[in-house]
Amino acid sequence: MTPAVSLRGVSKKYRISGGRSSRLSEVLSFGKVKRSHEFWALQDVNLDVEPGTTLGIIGRNGAGKSTLLSIISGVLQPTTGEVEVRGRLTAIFGLGTGFNPLFTGRENAMLSGLILGIERDEMLERFDDIEEFAELGEFMDQPIKTYSSGMRSRLGFAVAINVQPDVLVLDEALSAGDSAFKRKAIQRMYDLRESGTTVLFVSHSMGMVTRFCTDALLLHKGRVLTSGSPEEVADRYQEMVAKSEENKSAGMSERDRQLDYEIEHEEEEDTPTAGDVPTAGRTTNTRWVVGGAEILGLELLDEAGRPVDKLPSGGRLTVRVRLRYDEATEDSILGITLRSEKAGLEVFSTDTAREGTPLGRKYAGEQTTVDFTFVVPLGPGAYNVDASLADPHADGSDVARTQNAATFEITQEGTITPVKGLVQLPAEVEIYGLEGLQKRPGRPA
Amino acid sequence: MTTYTFKGKKSFAGEFLDGLATFYRRRWLLKYFVQRQVTRSYKRSYLGLAWTILSPLIWVFFLTLVFSEVVGIRFRVVESDPTLNFGLFLYCGLLPFMAFSEALNKGMNSIRSNSGLVQKVVFPVELLPFTNAVASLIDKLFGIGALVIIVFVLEHRLHWQVLLLPLIMVVQLLFTLGLTYMMAVIGTYVPDMGEVIRPFIRGTFFITPILWPPERLPENLRWIEDYNPLAYLVEAYRGMILEGTLPGGLATLYFSLFSLALFAAGFGLFVRLKHGFADQL
Repeated sequence: MTPAVSLRGVSKKYRISGGRSSRLSEVLSFGKVKRSHEFWALQDVNLDVEPGTTLGIIGRNGAGKSTLLSIISGVLQPTTGEVEVRGRLTAIFGLGTGFNPLFTGRENAMLSGLILGIERDEMLERFDDIEEFAELGEFMDQPIKTYSSGMRSRLGFAVAINVQPDVLVLDEALSAGDSAFKRKAIQRMYDLRESGTTVLFVSHSMGMVTRFCTDALLLHKGRVLTSGSPEEVADRYQEMVAKSEENKSAGMSERDRQLDYEIEHEEEEDTPTAGDVPTAGRTTNTRWVVGGAEILGLELLDEAGRPVDKLPSGGRLTVRVRLRYDEATEDSILGITLRSEKAGLEVFSTDTAREGTPLGRKYAGEQTTVDFTFVVPLGPGAYNVDASLADPHADGSDVARTQNAATFEITQEGTITPVKGLVQLPAEVEIYGLEGLQKRPGRPA
Repeated sequence: MTTYTFKGKKSFAGEFLDGLATFYRRRWLLKYFVQRQVTRSYKRSYLGLAWTILSPLIWVFFLTLVFSEVVGIRFRVVESDPTLNFGLFLYCGLLPFMAFSEALNKGMNSIRSNSGLVQKVVFPVELLPFTNAVASLIDKLFGIGALVIIVFVLEHRLHWQVLLLPLIMVVQLLFTLGLTYMMAVIGTYVPDMGEVIRPFIRGTFFITPILWPPERLPENLRWIEDYNPLAYLVEAYRGMILEGTLPGGLATLYFSLFSLALFAAGFGLFVRLKHGFADQL
């Protein structure tokens, strides 16, 4: 098949100048004085994207991801090389580009569509779809200046995604709107993919890439490091990140890691996990996440309420989960799961229903904090904690879920006899000898 | 199915024609852009579009007050109200000049002030300076309308020559476009040049017979008027709106040819360099 997008030896050079005065001296000397230095944002990129592919482009900040997308969509010209795109391309780099605050949503939607290169007649035809998708109601005829930023991006996204492009280029545009809208947007992206649209997108969320993409590409310092199946590429990326952070992360506290988690996984809870997508051991949980609430954070606290990432075996641990309901929910169940990294299995799991503390009725927008406190008589090693919110009325699916939200380590410090095995169960030992019964109490767990 | 390819550099003629075709292909976008530009300043106001007529009236009133009454210059006498003469004369000359200077000043920033569009979407940048030039002319069209009404009310007559003014304005559009495209390129690549050019644009006000009647020009300085395309426009406007005379045929021909060449040069420069705009922002 002819590729929908093909790049041959594409490179992009930028000049980094040392400031205004050095640029001036360069201009005045007609290029004889070179004060600036060259910087290759992309170097010799070759790429063929088959029609219908969903390609996730990953890489660290400054790896050239956005430059690559800009070149593919024709916003930037490559310094050398050739780009070929077959079919209609729609690129979304920032939502609501070109919106005018004084014009109504309707006018801006039209304007935005025209900017994206869609014929006016086609826009008129699709207007109902766009209006329905954006869910703005009466606001559609209000000036955009009265909109919240979420509403604005919703409108922008609705226009861009409802125009049936052959090639859709997204630069982290999916963080628009609340989780309900995000779900709909992702659903629409699945539909587009089904209908044969080639999707290219940049994401920092590995979960998003592995779940949504059919292919992935890892860029590093302007070069294609590897490409192939999303799982392999994501692994390679994480390996790369881990390596480069090894040195500096030695002193990184659990709090930082939790922050990292919240940043990186920001959009994941809302992503529907396609049940049939092979997750290759990446997630043990393959239930659908339907959305409706968001797990805002998961913290591990010690007895004094301080954040903790290390504790001795037998210590008391509090898992604090912060939730926000986006939809009114009745009888939701919040559960936590403790997983041993070493053993790779679930050690302990409980939920609010089991513990007899129902969450009750929650209205949309309500925030709740739930503390689970328990003793951890566990063997030394690292443990993961995750939380999931289930709705008993929606069978078989979670409302929200975290993935590797927090880890803590059981240390041997302060314990005379370290726990062997996975867990120290409260045990009683009775010894029968010739002198009769000797009874010793088991160590308190 | 449209196919977009970028393979090396296109031929110059191809790009030029492509750029021209864009105006037709994206005509609706162009319409919205122009509409937006024209109505932008009135959107917030309570009187809305009424301002397009009201603001010229205020202008005429103000100019009359300052120059006829305070300064006491009277070149052209309005029979029914001798105090009003200079206001009309001056405003009529100001219209083509304002169209010119507004288009150029806005055109200079047209790429930078729309950096979002240039960097974030595949946008036909040709439309941006075009919008500025067309919008400033349309804005003056309202001014002309208001002026014609004032002339009719005060002098009780209309000149049929006014009806030919749109033809002159088409040529004026080419003239303005040529310069606006050049300004857009300069303003994007060499922002400092903007500061140099701005005083020159302002300066043309004084070497154009707007404030002074061309008859006052000494013989040895006549060339200022002869070689100034703006002077041609000012006199054409005045003749057609106030006096009922048509501009000279030869002068019109020269101006038309000059405008056409200017447009070709400006637009050519623009399409040649437009691919680098996104990198400059």
